Amino acid sequence: MADPLQQLVCKSPGIMAHPGLPTIWVEAVLLAMLLLAGWMLWRPQRAIVTSGGAQSLAGWPVIGPWMKQALTRPWTLVILRLITAAIFLLVIYAGLFGSPLAERNIATVLTWSLWWTGLIMSVYFVGSAWCAICPWDAIATWLVRRRLWGRGEETASLNLRVPRLIRNVWPAWWMFIGLTWLELGLGITTSPYMTAILALVILVLTTVSLAVFERKAFCRYFCSVGRTVGVYSELSPIALRPIDPDICARCKTLECYHGTETIEPCPTHLVMGRLKENTYCTSCGACTQSCPYQNIAWSARPTGEEAMHTARPHWDAAWFILGLVALTSFHGLSMLPGWEQWMRSLAHAIGDSGQLLWSFTIGMAGSLLVPAALFSLAVFVTWKLIGKALPYQRLFALLAIATLPLAFAYHLAHNINHMVREGKGASSVLLNPLGSGTLPMTEAEMHLRHLQPLVQQDILFALQAGLLVFGFWLAMRILRHRMVALMGTTVLNKTLLLPMLVFISSITLFNLWLLMQPMIMRM
Amino acid sequence: MRIKRLVTLCLLMGLAAPSVLAHHVLGRPAYSLNEDSNTPPSMQVETQIGDYFVTYMVYPAFPKPNEPGRINLYATRIDNNEPLNAEVTFTVRDDSWFSDKEEKLGAQVIDDNVYRQGFMFREKGKYIITAEFTANGEPYRIDFPLQIGEASPIGPVGIAIGAIVLVLVGVNVFQRKRLQRLKTRDYHKQREG
Repeated sequence: MADPLQQLVCKSPGIMAHPGLPTIWVEAVLLAMLLLAGWMLWRPQRAIVTSGGAQSLAGWPVIGPWMKQALTRPWTLVILRLITAAIFLLVIYAGLFGSPLAERNIATVLTWSLWWTGLIMSVYFVGSAWCAICPWDAIATWLVRRRLWGRGEETASLNLRVPRLIRNVWPAWWMFIGLTWLELGLGITTSPYMTAILALVILVLTTVSLAVFERKAFCRYFCSVGRTVGVYSELSPIALRPIDPDICARCKTLECYHGTETIEPCPTHLVMGRLKENTYCTSCGACTQSCPYQNIAWSARPTGEEAMHTARPHWDAAWFILGLVALTSFHGLSMLPGWEQWMRSLAHAIGDSGQLLWSFTIGMAGSLLVPAALFSLAVFVTWKLIGKALPYQRLFALLAIATLPLAFAYHLAHNINHMVREGKGASSVLLNPLGSGTLPMTEAEMHLRHLQPLVQQDILFALQAGLLVFGFWLAMRILRHRMVALMGTTVLNKTLLLPMLVFISSITLFNLWLLMQPMIMRM
Repeated sequence: MRIKRLVTLCLLMGLAAPSVLAHHVLGRPAYSLNEDSNTPPSMQVETQIGDYFVTYMVYPAFPKPNEPGRINLYATRIDNNEPLNAEVTFTVRDDSWFSDKEEKLGAQVIDDNVYRQGFMFREKGKYIITAEFTANGEPYRIDFPLQIGEASPIGPVGIAIGAIVLVLVGVNVFQRKRLQRLKTRDYHKQREG
């Protein structure tokens, strides 16, 4: 086994890199991809089974009764919101008043190494539950509605409709791009102060949106965190759904949509009986409390079921998914040791100076455009092959969802590296959240910290490799189900799958290559 | 034609002045501590301007008023790593709002591949250090932020609270007036009816 010290690539004083995926794991991923691609292409497709298989957790022993109690009363959520809001305020306080050393301040460690990483992981296990306890929304709601729970006065907000032009996820898409630029270009992830400022800015935006627009427009249209969670939660095996769909079918009063005298209406305009995709559900619990039949509860379903069968993303949501595919890979790309050299060469060529933000912006735009162009091409070839059986935009949106597992899998594989290797100092930060009186990390300390990750390095590599294979497998399954549904036959011409298979394989191989490279430590 | 190259990091990094540890993007301040020497923690910014790669270090990392400090500036050509050999002039200006105070700190020549400039500030605040030199007939000017003492974080909190209060009060007043108008209209309708 290699000397662990050799596995930490020390580039120059103060710059260290995590080791990349070893060859054995790369070979395992490649072999798995080959087998899965063959299996997907040549295994006969069974008739499509739609999502009748969701099973309500309300009927489960132990969990069921507890869940019913928690879902139908506001206290559980109120307490959780109070806790997250308190932590959020601590993050802002520590960011503004604490140590500027990112690795010593809870603002940066909690936000970027633990929360942002853990949030994406949580989506798989609890769907969009984060949105229910989101501190931005909680504080904004308390400020605007002026109550801890329940329906606020109508006069608390102007209740304007969101202008048609931005009644889609394009604002969230742009905000996601903006946040990525701030994160990787301006480096807010390594600045407690900037992290706190960002948290404050989002709080102001959430509050203003709630005070001006009807229901929770920020959650539905503008919040890139919420939309990311929402889109990924389409793959989750857990979601809020009706226990008995027949009760919803007979319901004429739609309390889930309109709310009651004391309970808020659905913040994102959803009717639970007709809910087919999780994208806009914030798991806020309003429907579970307002339903007179107590018919809404968490349900278990097969992984990716929704993405395979029921989800119908629109043009804007399809672009959001593509944005996720591109920007998750871009995160890895910008942390390669070679990235800085590429940026310096580009800056020298175009006469960029200083923080090289123009060069970074060009690099980021290229990283967005290349996957989008390749995907558009793959969809175009498929469109030709199926004889233009439906409009190009429709096919584009339908097939975009097949790329979602690629983004999710790489997002997790990348983030898990940050969490396992950089979350090591979290306990000391929790004891001294402001990092008062601390000094910068020395190289020796960096080495020690990174030689002892939270889990063994081999387990980490196995997880990363497994996630990439999982993403590839799920993407292939979604593609095949979508194409079968589209063509209306279980005997699918394999040529129809090839363009998208090439795209899915290319993205997976690129992400695999990224994981093979050493990754520069963030903090 | 002589091209004046200007790097204004102050606007972006001034926001992040009491901040950032950076490892993989140029132009961000990073803090480091060398365990093998007795030097205090330092703040370091690496950047690129024209044909030169410039590293700027400040000792100590968090300078305080009436405490002597030092700037070390390293500049090497990007193409061949050859150190810059010219006179570098350091000036400082107050970066706070409504202030245009500027002062020359000194002019330094190269010493062991480093340009060293000492400083001592009497008042805490946000400052911009400017290093100017001429190479191959082209003037170079690089601005770097320098925070003396602790930054005042009241500004962002004040702005955030101010914005929220303004919107909430505005909405409240608007809605009250609207309700009042509706009541008055209903009252008149009832009287007319």
